[in-house]
Amino acid sequence: MNPALAGAALAAVALAVVVGAVIAGSARNARTAIFGLVITMVGVPILADPLPWPLALSARLVAAVLAGYLLWVAARGHHVRTGGSLVGWPTDVFLAIGAAVVGYGSHGLGAPAAGPALAAAAGFGLAALSVLPVVTGRDILRVGIGLMLLLSGALLIRTSLGGTPDPLEQLLTAGLVAMLGGAVAILAVAARSDGGTGFEMADSTPRRSSHSGDAHPTEQR
Amino acid sequence: MSLLVFVVVAIAFAGLAALLRGDPGPRTAAGLIGLIVAVIAALAIDPAQIVDIRGGGIATTAYLRLFLVLGSLVGLGLAVSGLAGGSRRDAPAVTLGILAACGLTLGLVDPRAAVLVATAGGLFGVLVTLIPGNARAGATVGIRETRAVIVAGALAIAATAWFGRDLSQLAAQPVVFGLAYLAFAVAVAMRFGAIPFHLWAARLTDVVPETALPILTAMAPATLAVVALAWTDASVTPLLVNLDSARLLVLGIAIASIFLAAIAAFVQDDLEHVLGYSIIGDAGVVMLALATLDPEAWAPARLWILVFVVTRSSFAAWVAGIRAGFWTGRVADLRGWVWRSPPLAAALALVVVASVGFPGLVSFDARKAIVELAIDGPAATVVLIGTLLPLAYYGRLLAIGLSRPDRVVQPISAWRPHLARPDVTAIQSWSSHTWDTNRAFTTATVAIVLGALALATSAGAFRGPEAAAGLPPTLTGPGEVVSPVDPGDQPSPSGSVGP
Repeated sequence: MNPALAGAALAAVALAVVVGAVIAGSARNARTAIFGLVITMVGVPILADPLPWPLALSARLVAAVLAGYLLWVAARGHHVRTGGSLVGWPTDVFLAIGAAVVGYGSHGLGAPAAGPALAAAAGFGLAALSVLPVVTGRDILRVGIGLMLLLSGALLIRTSLGGTPDPLEQLLTAGLVAMLGGAVAILAVAARSDGGTGFEMADSTPRRSSHSGDAHPTEQR
Repeated sequence: MSLLVFVVVAIAFAGLAALLRGDPGPRTAAGLIGLIVAVIAALAIDPAQIVDIRGGGIATTAYLRLFLVLGSLVGLGLAVSGLAGGSRRDAPAVTLGILAACGLTLGLVDPRAAVLVATAGGLFGVLVTLIPGNARAGATVGIRETRAVIVAGALAIAATAWFGRDLSQLAAQPVVFGLAYLAFAVAVAMRFGAIPFHLWAARLTDVVPETALPILTAMAPATLAVVALAWTDASVTPLLVNLDSARLLVLGIAIASIFLAAIAAFVQDDLEHVLGYSIIGDAGVVMLALATLDPEAWAPARLWILVFVVTRSSFAAWVAGIRAGFWTGRVADLRGWVWRSPPLAAALALVVVASVGFPGLVSFDARKAIVELAIDGPAATVVLIGTLLPLAYYGRLLAIGLSRPDRVVQPISAWRPHLARPDVTAIQSWSSHTWDTNRAFTTATVAIVLGALALATSAGAFRGPEAAAGLPPTLTGPGEVVSPVDPGDQPSPSGSVGP
């Protein structure tokens, strides 16, 4: 492929990844946030030069869509809401741009890198966008989305430093992404099963009674 | 490839148990049968196989085999104990999933791939945080656990990626090496719940059954620690770079965990919290091994990790025995437990000897070697004494057990086996009754068996020391020779100061 064309395509993918992350981190409608997350997760494996082996790429894409689908199911219902950004999407955009510039400028982190600088830029952007949801998130879906952004950011930084991962690593990455989506979806469904439509965390930590007649009185013997 | 057979078997039975989630009987059976098959599959692992997959690959070692055999055995014991004690029945499936992840993590040659599997393995734990009837509270604990696992995973991914490339054209400040090393060490500390990253682990003990706790907070993170040790020895240790500041931080985490966790375990009034902090305290020794930056620590550290997993699991089995026998986990309510259940007293004695040890015991010498490699001078003696602090909480448990019972909650013979005459016309009813009346005896027996296993591991049985001294998995056969890299010899960026 023409190098200029390939560079433009990579830039478009990097932009889509970061825009998806901004939507995922700032939207208050749960399904809008999940949609943004899926855009990001689908873009992450493509943001590599050379592209992964086709079967490995397929596995990554399937895992990203599966993780998004599981979260989509967990957010079923009308106007299910999540926390959204505390600082507003314009601030998130500036944060992502700043971090992306740092990532692009420090590409390789002190040694020649085997992957594209745009992956480093997008990776730093995603990592910066994940900080607020992961640290201050008060609802399970928002923290989960933050964690998926953080993982995606780390995977992009890994690609930018070490180049396109080998097929085995891609397959394992696909498994991890799908598992994280499944884990967050299970937790989100569990939170909603208590009643209410939101994903808010419980205010108090459950305390197991030390004087209970059963070690864990959760199931019939 | 024998390791893949183990992984497939473990995942298949975990999946089967998950599919049967709505039907407790078959789900439990699938989990237990899966663990039995996992023990057999682990024993069948050939410790010298290599599978090359397009540059990456999987290799088996004697250490991997021993880890999986011991892990499957303690997983089976804890599953039986949890079943008898009325614990949640999805724990065996979670154990199988974690065992599969442990096998792959230890077998993968490339640390960049291994940290991915180690992170995925940590996610299985969320299943046992969900509490029917209080799901939101359980999910809150679960998402905090997920946060710790993924943040640790992200740090490990970044650290291994930074080193996992050609560094011959290095232009970095030496501090970047320290940051990469620190990131991986902090990742391991977070997974163990080491102090000061212990808050999520402390909350975990509120919801997770005691029989699942060592699987989540000891066994699963232990494999990440093994990968970290191999990565440190291959990538960080050969560097002629001063990493003292990063190393001091790791030392601080290790020493804080050893001392403060022992104190926390001593003051806790709930056995599950005593167990949780005892795991954190022993994990402090693993952190100490990461702080040595000395290849000499390789064998003792890996041996200690084996001992750590088995002894903490046997302690969990003892806690489950207490729960099932006395229907309480509150320490203050356990006056006279020694007189009321001699088998549990024997089990605790085995746990104490296995975990604390004495000079000459392989595990004690391994721990001593780690401390002496990590710290010089009189401070080493202080830290070594600190590793004996678990004697304080064991002593407290023993003291309350030897004291006069303040009330009689169980007949003195409750711990003994009870076998009614078999009724051939109602075998199911008879077996159900026999199982119910022998719950205390079953858990106590499992505690003794796992205590004996722990003592044997501590004494160096099963060729543990030889396995621990072996090379990490490699595709090149007799190990990779890493030549020292001196960043001072490389062109430095303008304005930078050499090491």
